Amino acid sequence: MNGAHDELVSLAPAYVLGALEPDERRAFERHLETCEICAGEVQALGRVTAGLAQSVPLVTPRPELRSRVLDAIAPSHVRPMKDVVTPRWTMGNWLAYAALVALVTGMSLYAINLRSRIESLEARLEQASVRLLAADRAVADAQRVSFEMQSAMAVLTAPDLVRVELKGAPAAPQAIGRALWSRQSGMVFTAANMPPLPAGRVYQVWLVAGAAPVSAGLIAPDDMGRSSGVFRTAPDVGAPVMVAVTIEPAGGVPAPTGAFYLIGKI
Amino acid sequence: MWLVAALSRPGADRGADTGDGNLLARLTAGDSSAAADLYDRYARIVYSLVLRILQSEAEAEDIVQDVFVQAWQQAARYDHGRGSVAGWLLTMARTRAIDRLRARSVRPEGRASVDMEHVERSLAGPADVVGGLIAHEEADAVRRALAELPLLQRVAIELAYFEGLSQREVAERLDEPLGTIKTRIRTGMLRLRDALAGAVTEGGS
Repeated sequence: MNGAHDELVSLAPAYVLGALEPDERRAFERHLETCEICAGEVQALGRVTAGLAQSVPLVTPRPELRSRVLDAIAPSHVRPMKDVVTPRWTMGNWLAYAALVALVTGMSLYAINLRSRIESLEARLEQASVRLLAADRAVADAQRVSFEMQSAMAVLTAPDLVRVELKGAPAAPQAIGRALWSRQSGMVFTAANMPPLPAGRVYQVWLVAGAAPVSAGLIAPDDMGRSSGVFRTAPDVGAPVMVAVTIEPAGGVPAPTGAFYLIGKI
Repeated sequence: MWLVAALSRPGADRGADTGDGNLLARLTAGDSSAAADLYDRYARIVYSLVLRILQSEAEAEDIVQDVFVQAWQQAARYDHGRGSVAGWLLTMARTRAIDRLRARSVRPEGRASVDMEHVERSLAGPADVVGGLIAHEEADAVRRALAELPLLQRVAIELAYFEGLSQREVAERLDEPLGTIKTRIRTGMLRLRDALAGAVTEGGS
């Protein structure tokens, strides 16, 4: 029994990840029914998988998704208001009405006081919102960096990875570059010795498939002429023959207009 | 008139009871404003997990919609012993996203999606903490521990968790011996478990 346990307890980490083969999993689950140690181990490791789910960089979905989801749940998720009951005025209500007028007058004075306090609170809320916005921006920056690293890792571990060495064209003979491209996961692009860019221009990286190059993304070299980028590329691009880099107006263009600075055949 | 409007607004005394139990009760009762509350509370983390798995905004949006529609339909059958609402939603989201991922890549030797049901069971688990929404500090602890893990261990664990690969498939993908991958996954997961245990102890003292 102990021998079986020693062997099976080592499967717990892969079990909670769902990474066991079916026969291993069945053997482990049979053992789990009778072994408290392994049940405790699965419980402790379950916290790790819950943590993995929540360790991802937080990305806010587009606001449109909210109404799409709620429409799918109930075509009109706004509940109708209840019918408003209209009060009927009679002579008998007069005393009550007079009392109400007096009450409203008193409350109006109180309301004026309240309103000035609300205004001061609103001003403080606005200051807090500004600070929150700055913090949100810092978090968003950190998330972008983290997301890029994950994208890069996805490219580097992709089964269909293609490596392309790029050489400088006559316009920039010293420049060199390297593209690691996976149809599934995108492209990691690095380059060195890139000539400095004129103002208002960027380098644009292209996947050249047949007659129609497809933009992969934009890069801007640092003072040393180095640059890198992680791009998502369209998975439905035709069989590309070349990766190339051109200089284009800031923001990039849908099809290359400038001369090739770097070229590499796939 | 604004005074009357302000006095008659009923929102002030509501909203204090925002627990998941209350939310589930409202969902079960068919209160569709509860669907909006559920979405507002969990859409971001669900979307983030699915986006991490699928790396496609359009597909992630489809899955988020499926998950919330299913949660709405199945709220009445939700078993409170299974863990938190977040754990329930995230498990559904991961299972669906990985099914989509497998459908997308043509890998005939890949495992059938029936195995993903077992993932769901193992995550839901008998104990209420398993698969539950863990505290922020714990998610932070996992994130930190993950960042400190040797890259090769981390890659193996992430391929298994976020791409739903078996240990054998991870070994094939990375072109490494199966035994090496098993060791990396086990060592890495135990380190993460210990880091989490450490975080709990620190937080509890």
